[in-house]
Amino acid sequence: MPGSASSIHCPEGLIERLRSAAENGGEAKLKVLRELKNQIIGNRTKKLSYINLGALPFVVSILSSASSSSSSSDSLLVQCAATIGSFACGVDSGVKAVLDAGAFPHLMNLLSHSNEKIVDAGARALKMIYQSKVAPKYDFFQEKEMDILISLLDKNNEYLTGLGASIITHSCETKDEQKILGDAGILKKLVDLLEGTTSQRDAYMESFATIIKGNPQVILKSVGPENGRMWGNLLELTKDRYSRTRLLACMCLILIKNAVPSYLQSVGVRTKLISILLELIDDSGQVGDETLFTLSSFIENEEGLQKLAFEVNTIEKLCDHMQKELLQPKRLEGIFMVLANLCSNLESCRSVLLQSPKLQAINIITDGLSHTTVDVRVAACICLKNISRSVKYLSAGQFMTEAVIIPLIQLLYDSSTSVQVAALCAISNLVVDFTMHKSLFVQSGCVKRLVELSKSTDLSVRLNAVWALRNLMFLVDSRCKEGIFLELRALTLTSLMSDPSACVQEQALGLICNLVNGSVDSIEYVFAENGFLLSAIGRQLWSASKPEILIQGMYVFCNVASGKEFHKEAVMHQILPGSSNDDNQSIMVTMLQSNDARLRTAAVWTIINLTIPTGPGALARVVKLKNAGIVSQLRNMANDSCLDVKLRVRTALGQSLTFGNFST
Amino acid sequence: MTYLLATGWTGDGKDGLASGDGRQQWWWLAADDETGDRRWVFIPSPFDLLRKRQYCQNLVVTAKMPVRMVESPAPASSSGANPGQTSLQPCSLLSVGQTFSGTQNVSSPQKEEAWRVNVRIQGCDLNHGYVCGTMEALNVPMADTPVVTFWEGEIVDTKNYTFFTNKWKATSEVDIDHWTKFPSFSPLLSQVEVDGGKSLDLSNYQYIFMRWKEQYFVNVGADCGLTIAGFYYVCFSCVDGSINGYYYDPNSSPFQKLELKTTNEGRSGFSFSSYELQ
Repeated sequence: MPGSASSIHCPEGLIERLRSAAENGGEAKLKVLRELKNQIIGNRTKKLSYINLGALPFVVSILSSASSSSSSSDSLLVQCAATIGSFACGVDSGVKAVLDAGAFPHLMNLLSHSNEKIVDAGARALKMIYQSKVAPKYDFFQEKEMDILISLLDKNNEYLTGLGASIITHSCETKDEQKILGDAGILKKLVDLLEGTTSQRDAYMESFATIIKGNPQVILKSVGPENGRMWGNLLELTKDRYSRTRLLACMCLILIKNAVPSYLQSVGVRTKLISILLELIDDSGQVGDETLFTLSSFIENEEGLQKLAFEVNTIEKLCDHMQKELLQPKRLEGIFMVLANLCSNLESCRSVLLQSPKLQAINIITDGLSHTTVDVRVAACICLKNISRSVKYLSAGQFMTEAVIIPLIQLLYDSSTSVQVAALCAISNLVVDFTMHKSLFVQSGCVKRLVELSKSTDLSVRLNAVWALRNLMFLVDSRCKEGIFLELRALTLTSLMSDPSACVQEQALGLICNLVNGSVDSIEYVFAENGFLLSAIGRQLWSASKPEILIQGMYVFCNVASGKEFHKEAVMHQILPGSSNDDNQSIMVTMLQSNDARLRTAAVWTIINLTIPTGPGALARVVKLKNAGIVSQLRNMANDSCLDVKLRVRTALGQSLTFGNFST
Repeated sequence: MTYLLATGWTGDGKDGLASGDGRQQWWWLAADDETGDRRWVFIPSPFDLLRKRQYCQNLVVTAKMPVRMVESPAPASSSGANPGQTSLQPCSLLSVGQTFSGTQNVSSPQKEEAWRVNVRIQGCDLNHGYVCGTMEALNVPMADTPVVTFWEGEIVDTKNYTFFTNKWKATSEVDIDHWTKFPSFSPLLSQVEVDGGKSLDLSNYQYIFMRWKEQYFVNVGADCGLTIAGFYYVCFSCVDGSINGYYYDPNSSPFQKLELKTTNEGRSGFSFSSYELQ
């Protein structure tokens, strides 16, 4: 149509011609599609603009009529597919618009066309769609869909196999999906595909990783250590010239190792992998970021790998990286996570970080506590938590400085719960501090916040808050103890002890045990506020669901029984039968008969304390214990299989014998 | 060839077991690798372990005594590590939070002197043979305040560490000279002389042997005039928690003795506390 040059190429003009082509057909279709495609290629703004102007339904309509007509030209179909593919390329809203316009089934149909060029164009367009997370979920449980997928992978055409791989990477999410793909022999096909020189290797490796991730069963069934070709291929690819390919190859090997450690035992290979990853960190883009997470997951949970990484100077390299300006949040998070895993078990790693000049490394980690990104704050907390597992440095008071404590306490008020929990975990280690710096912590007003958090409805928050309080209470001086108890109060302790979660109960009793340790006056705390705390503990011992609760509870009694006469009598009242239950048997006999040596130990110590001969009421207590069958139970344990128990039993028996022999 | 597989002992007489005269007696389980024959053999003098093999070749068949069998996974070997060895069993008196007090003799030929010392256990990892804590020395002449040091200990469990120090300028002669000063070491001497005690199973022994090395000063500067260059040979009694030790430093007076007992901080009994690192 004649018209001014400007109106032919302005968007509205183009749309008008497109509409007319869709409705009327003819030569014009190909021309206008080509023009549209040339406009939008590589231009995100134009793509969005044409979408808004409603271009897509027309394009799909042209595709639809061309597909169903036997006389339409092949180049028209190619252009339709290419145009649609372009709309979908790299733009999520473009993908959505393409799907909304109903393009998907038509594109799928192109895959079975006789003309290879048309097949390729269709496959490329579909691959663009599947790069996006808004692509439709592929249903691997439908036989027909699975057949299509398998046929894609079997083709001798890179666009098709690449599409198959993209579909898997996009849609395989659950263990069941992984299993069904594994069972269908997909892994083997991918391994075979990797052998050829192909531009789609990255796609194959990504889908391979997706199927095996976190699923040992799939690997055990489909992939074996005898599968030399697979190992050979992957190891070769770790030396590829493209960094992304090297990274993906490392990722696949590491995923296999994480699922089935015995498959990748060779120290030589493990060291090589670490070295390759360390080199890849230098990549300043996404590859470098992902490398850090891959390295982190490699060494997590395995001390031997942490040691290997340490020996190739991973820490020094990461410290160098950390000191670069303007690190992206993802990069910083990745570095913190690798450092955290390195320090999870090895004192040598923690030493290196803590001894770095001017504490640069620690300062950067501490700065991370105030980062604007949540994930970075969490990673910084985890890192500090692992570094502070060093008793040597806790003893030096290394961590109880304002620079570390103040930002951590701030995080207890963070808007994100996961940050609060991570901060609580770090704090629970830091407060074990053996120097007098616990007072720094108590004076900061933080105890009040810990007590508040110990009442949270979120179990993680509650548990870690009580844990921190327990560790804070360990060997704390009397003044701080008083300050802590003023916030806690007996009522809170009682309710924590009967928390629905057994883990919280355990920590609460550990807290009380530490509370009554120390100077003799500390014992008075369990008698505060009408003294119901002690009987609450007595009741708890009967209903405890795990041994750790019993152990802590019994040690509370043990500690109280190491006090004055009044304290010993109060414990007697709790442990003798008939006091808090209908049971005829003393809780002591139950514990002494336990299979768990720790329970037996705790019980015997309590008896030792109750029968210390110097106490005026000792004889009477011995008689009562004898009458409750406890002394004869002890006699049966004179040769207990556990040395510690045996020695304590002899002490206890020796003490009771001081008062004269008993005929059994 | 005859191998010695295990040691065991009868009771101390009070339990009514067969020893009769109330003494602890050492028995060895001897096995003949050709016949598979295994027998308990009594050795009257446990100090005479060097001649044990010869003794065993003149085996006297004895009725099997109701002894406590100490687990030993393999024939006594004198080479290599002991992957099959178990760690020591926990002893509640050697646990975090426990405190001990006593004296450290620091006499020199010039004068008699002793410091009061308090020790507190702060970390304990039996799997790695590791223990650590602080040591507080009071009435130290050159200091205005008590001097606190942090020490780390190696537990001789024959798995992580043997009786041979192999560092800190302590030769095996120095090691033996010090360990033999502990009476409870005597039954072990002969075997230690052979291989440092690698093949001993100490998991049921009532004494724990350690080396304590001070690492840094906690509350004073390193220039306070005191030295932490040496280390202690330590013997800990699981029975009552008493600690004896000898300080070794080639530049200090030899055999300065450390003697500690458990403290109860004014309590009538024992008290325990714990922490758990995340």
